[in-house]
Amino acid sequence: MAADNKRTVLIMKEKRTVPQKVKDELKYFTQVKKKILKALKEKEMTVPELAKAIEMQEGDTLYYLMSLLKYGFVETGEIDDMDEYFYYKLKNNG
Amino acid sequence: MQYQTDNNSYDALVIGAGIAGGEAALNLANLGYKVLLIDKDLTIGGKMIMLSKVFPTLDCSACITTPKVSEISRHPNIKILTSTQASNITQKSDGTFMAEITTKPRYVEIEDCTGCQLCEEACPVIVKDQYQYDLVGRKAAYIPFSIASPRAAAIDIENCTLCGACERACPTNCIDFTQTDKKITIKCNTVILATGFQLFDPTLIPRYGFGRFKNVITSMQMERQLAPTRPFNTVLRPSDGKLPDNIAYVLCTGSRDKTLGNPICSQVCCMYSTKQAQLLMGALPMADITLYYLHIRAFGKGFNEFYAQAQSMGVEFVKGKVAKITEKENGNLILRYEDINGNVVKETEHDMVVLSVGILPNVGIQELFSGINLELDEFNYVKQTDVLASPAATSINGVFVAGTASAPMDIPDSILSAGAASAEAANYIRKMSEINVSV
Repeated sequence: MAADNKRTVLIMKEKRTVPQKVKDELKYFTQVKKKILKALKEKEMTVPELAKAIEMQEGDTLYYLMSLLKYGFVETGEIDDMDEYFYYKLKNNG
Repeated sequence: MQYQTDNNSYDALVIGAGIAGGEAALNLANLGYKVLLIDKDLTIGGKMIMLSKVFPTLDCSACITTPKVSEISRHPNIKILTSTQASNITQKSDGTFMAEITTKPRYVEIEDCTGCQLCEEACPVIVKDQYQYDLVGRKAAYIPFSIASPRAAAIDIENCTLCGACERACPTNCIDFTQTDKKITIKCNTVILATGFQLFDPTLIPRYGFGRFKNVITSMQMERQLAPTRPFNTVLRPSDGKLPDNIAYVLCTGSRDKTLGNPICSQVCCMYSTKQAQLLMGALPMADITLYYLHIRAFGKGFNEFYAQAQSMGVEFVKGKVAKITEKENGNLILRYEDINGNVVKETEHDMVVLSVGILPNVGIQELFSGINLELDEFNYVKQTDVLASPAATSINGVFVAGTASAPMDIPDSILSAGAASAEAANYIRKMSEINVSV
């Protein structure tokens, strides 16, 4: 068990500085997450539709969308009429 | 760094806990020998545990590996250390070995972690998931994958913002940022090298566009897309999330190519590509799958039938050498290749290309030893000094090699090789005991 239930992260903070790149990436992901969830709150979207809505490259949109799917924020909907793209929607977490 | 003296000596040190190392460790443990099994990764199981299915039987890879991994983890004669590497292995005059064992901090007490994933849920960070070959993100506090062993969290300190959310969320207080490198010195009678292989880096062939064109992926990325624990909800193009309907495979990427320094066949690419083609026919029934090959090497039991089965399912095999790949605006890819049978240069369009990357030897194995020379063969694999009579023997008496550390090979051959290594190691341990008794 960790050292006497104390918050050991405080000890690490004294020894280690978080790189600016890590802070910047967290800030960026938080913004992207907000944009994706806001866009999907409006309606279900495919990856190209979502990319257009949040003004991001489709490949990057897929990466972040699938990460949100993995962690339970988003779920997969139906496939489009051309059988090419799935729709994605906010997950109903009750 | 924490220094400890581990007074317990081991009969065998097995370096690498993939399928070969695990099998060798298990064989020795079942004979009653005490084994230290180490792996540099956070989990045991090697690359096999990451595969979707195995060829030619199409059995679920995880279903084969998981019981084996469980047996290894629970065996009373095996001690497992993950995030751990050996160094300064020396041989004493009596034939036994000393080794320095260094364990990197995981920042989680494995024994206390219940694998509840509350730390993962609390962590705000997203970075590329190396266990999904960068196709999707993971947290900085994470369990490598659902069937990892040990199924315990780890903190990726390089990408951690030190927000402390994981520590606050942990119900068992198992997160410990005070952990440092742990170093122990052990004594063992024999060493088995099961250090596995590395995959060819396709950015070394710039004309194939890997890293520049999102829809050019590696076979391992496709393997993950086909696995039950896949990164996406189904097989998708990484450029835009479209269901692909025309997929090409480029075989011998990084194998049988003197210009890349790897002139030998990787043994597995033909069959794993054929396997993936069959799985894709199941996952995407309307898709066209084309394999561009130099020669199909279906040499194992049932392999030729497996190849014929793929052909009968509609997989197209084109004998052709791919010269280069270019990308269209819509993300589709143009393959320019030499049609060897037609003796003409052709171009075809696909919406996704999979590079069937070859196997390369892992580097740095010789540096594990100090004062003794581990010889490598001409292709930089661990040299087998007597392939026919003693296939696991190396240039160091008492050090044996198992699996793909000695040459490219498939899973059954790796297991067979591990059997040879454990038998020879057991024989060496027995002889050592007899000498010690007579002395």
